[in-house]
Amino acid sequence: MPRLTLELDLNRVEGDVTFQVEIEDGHVVEARCAGTAYRGFEQIMIGRAPYDALVITPRICGICSTAHLYAAVLALENTWGITPPANAVHIRNASLMAESIQSDLRQTFLFFTPDFCHERYVASSVRDAVVEAFAPFRGWMHRETLRYSRRIIEIVALLAGQWPHSSHMVPGGVTAKATIRHIVDSQSLVTEVTRWVEQRILGSGLDGWLALTDGDALEAWLAAYPATALALLDQAARFAGLHNMGFGASHLLAFGAFPLPEPGMGRNHWLAPGIQPGNDAVLPLDPARINEHIRYSWFRPYPGGKHPFDGETVPDYQPASDRYSWAKAPRYGSEVMQTGPLADLVIDGDPLIVDLYRQHRDSAWLRQLARLRRMTYLLRFLRQTLDRLATRLNEPHIIPVSPATKHDGRGAGLLTATRGALGHWVSIRDGVFDRYQVITPTSWNASPRDSAGVPGHWEQSLIGIPLADPDDPLEIGHVIRSHDPCLVCTVHFLEPGGGIRNRIQLGV
Amino acid sequence: MRLLWIQAGACGGDTLSLLCADNPPLEQLIDEGLELLWHPSLSTDSPHRLRQIIAGIAAAQISLDILCIEGSLITAPRNTGLWDPLGDRSKKEVIAELAEAAAYVLAIGTCAAHGGIHAAPPNPADCTGMQFDKITPGGLLPAHWRSRSSLPVINLTGCPTHPNIISKVLAFLLRGLPIDLDPWQRPTAFFATTVHQGCTRNEYHEYDIEDVDLGGQGCLFFNLGCQGPLTLAPCNQELWNSRNSKTRAGVPCFGCTSPDFPRNDDLFRTEKIGHIPLRLPLGVQRAHYIAYKDLAQEAAPERLIHRKMEP
Repeated sequence: MPRLTLELDLNRVEGDVTFQVEIEDGHVVEARCAGTAYRGFEQIMIGRAPYDALVITPRICGICSTAHLYAAVLALENTWGITPPANAVHIRNASLMAESIQSDLRQTFLFFTPDFCHERYVASSVRDAVVEAFAPFRGWMHRETLRYSRRIIEIVALLAGQWPHSSHMVPGGVTAKATIRHIVDSQSLVTEVTRWVEQRILGSGLDGWLALTDGDALEAWLAAYPATALALLDQAARFAGLHNMGFGASHLLAFGAFPLPEPGMGRNHWLAPGIQPGNDAVLPLDPARINEHIRYSWFRPYPGGKHPFDGETVPDYQPASDRYSWAKAPRYGSEVMQTGPLADLVIDGDPLIVDLYRQHRDSAWLRQLARLRRMTYLLRFLRQTLDRLATRLNEPHIIPVSPATKHDGRGAGLLTATRGALGHWVSIRDGVFDRYQVITPTSWNASPRDSAGVPGHWEQSLIGIPLADPDDPLEIGHVIRSHDPCLVCTVHFLEPGGGIRNRIQLGV
Repeated sequence: MRLLWIQAGACGGDTLSLLCADNPPLEQLIDEGLELLWHPSLSTDSPHRLRQIIAGIAAAQISLDILCIEGSLITAPRNTGLWDPLGDRSKKEVIAELAEAAAYVLAIGTCAAHGGIHAAPPNPADCTGMQFDKITPGGLLPAHWRSRSSLPVINLTGCPTHPNIISKVLAFLLRGLPIDLDPWQRPTAFFATTVHQGCTRNEYHEYDIEDVDLGGQGCLFFNLGCQGPLTLAPCNQELWNSRNSKTRAGVPCFGCTSPDFPRNDDLFRTEKIGHIPLRLPLGVQRAHYIAYKDLAQEAAPERLIHRKMEP
């Protein structure tokens, strides 16, 4: 059987994607994802005043701008040794939680589930119900997601002024306190969205859902509420075989979601940071082990990997070489890592997701289920955060930062964004940035090969996928969308150079 | 009406803004007959289909009513535009071709209109706007260019564009309502008012109660870089996400609807001559402004001096 090379475009992700995959005997045997649309944010930051990062870097990404703002302010506070007051941390956390809920809802029901309306699935037993729910602009779930994703994001507007692209997090705190009016409005919005999630996605209360501890309990839950969006997604995904495909890197990475300003009960974060190196033991995160390779990227070559404090971003576009991406290849030590909601919940030890991960590994189905599960946790955390703010209305939301504090130095801001581990590493000299390095979650997941030639997580997750129809490789779309790609953060995908046989351009 | 949406060098923020529009919401426009020939985040058709649509438009087999461009036009390397490709071609080439066929061309966001953030120094990807290059007329398309309906590119500036500006302009087109443009080719329905107008810190500004540090209740114009009094946009008239605005939440206006956004100087600092900002509110004379501000401070009531009013 000859090898066939397909060039695949992908839409309904943040940005556009093209993959190059090699097919043999109806299965993917090799995959490359190559990153594009070089916009040069790290270069734009050089020579700018430190606070400008709070305006420029959120514009890296339209769907997770609050996460970039949060990472930027943490990097500046780390550089200058500033600890913001508790209320500021709560307001920042609430902003990022609301943004993530918005993104998880839109990714799932605007970008991921429309594929289940494809004519290939006409024989599914839930065909009619799936189309009635998920068809764009007609299905009830699509329309309601448009509405309720708008509602939850109003919380960011209440706290930050607008969404997308505000700059309310500044060194020392936030620019405005959460007034009692804003808190009550935000609580009402969480209540409204939670009620909708319970009625239309889950079928019953959040508390009962979050109390599920294993795969059997999940089965029973889905059987009890078969008409919900969750049950339809589950059935449609299984019919498409998504529980049996999309397995990628076995090492999981989480930077920790939402630091708790008053740590308690052994917790410093709402969702813990850590590393899960392919077995049950979760290890502490050691940021010093992070490094980026550019052997297959269009940047000025250097050997091996560089820690972002020593990193450089000098474009060297060579489309005719064996280099194929604008994305760098981040590694933890020498390991390829997978990051995102699945990693967050496995590392934090959510019993249901840990049980399913043991049974099913990181299938496309489980990645998508973990995203919805995390969204429901965030609804609970967001409500609790607002309730805490309501008990401490008169505490400060910002502390003064003296000019002498803003000295030269370097620092890092690491956190869990919607799509996983996000880091900003900065260096300030003579009062302006002389280095600014960003590693986004999609950089980890969409990584090209590293100096040792080891493929990235997405590239691995496509290997072995059976394609029912190579002219319409729908399966690849499912798998890649299950990673919630944010290409604008990192990459668009560009045509790789050289050696392409039987090239066919397609779309999924 | 048929709409085609292309993302060039973009963060996707204007698409997310479109999804946040609530007056009117996108789904209502669709119900009214807006047909999305293609939108990168919303179409279920594959990108393969996009190529067919583009070819169909070029061959005059498909009529195109509204072309929306989001993102900066990337021209690197060496004016080929290949740092932002669509298949074998550059996006800028495809966009210029589509513009010729469209009845209306909308530049959504300051990036598409003027180059925006990506064109900030050192402009690593050689970005420009659709019909302006920052403040200079002529971008991807020359200054004299007109669409099939005899209009220039309609610039809906902002970073991102205000959600309801996008949806309302689409409603204008769908319902056959007139669109009057200002000299920067922006609809005057939205860009004839300053961000300052409607700001809940206005009373502080009126009596010259100016904050020096972020996080306070006062006005942000004199010290903290706020561009509200010299930026045209409806942010405090039609609130963001129906709730709020940046200046109300203590975030300076960075002038993101202006052709030169982002400014090159420190974005959180106001350059001043003496104690008065270098850049004054739109159309104001310096001598008059100094006299007014000196008097205003004298007249300030205690409740403002002590910042009792929550913005």
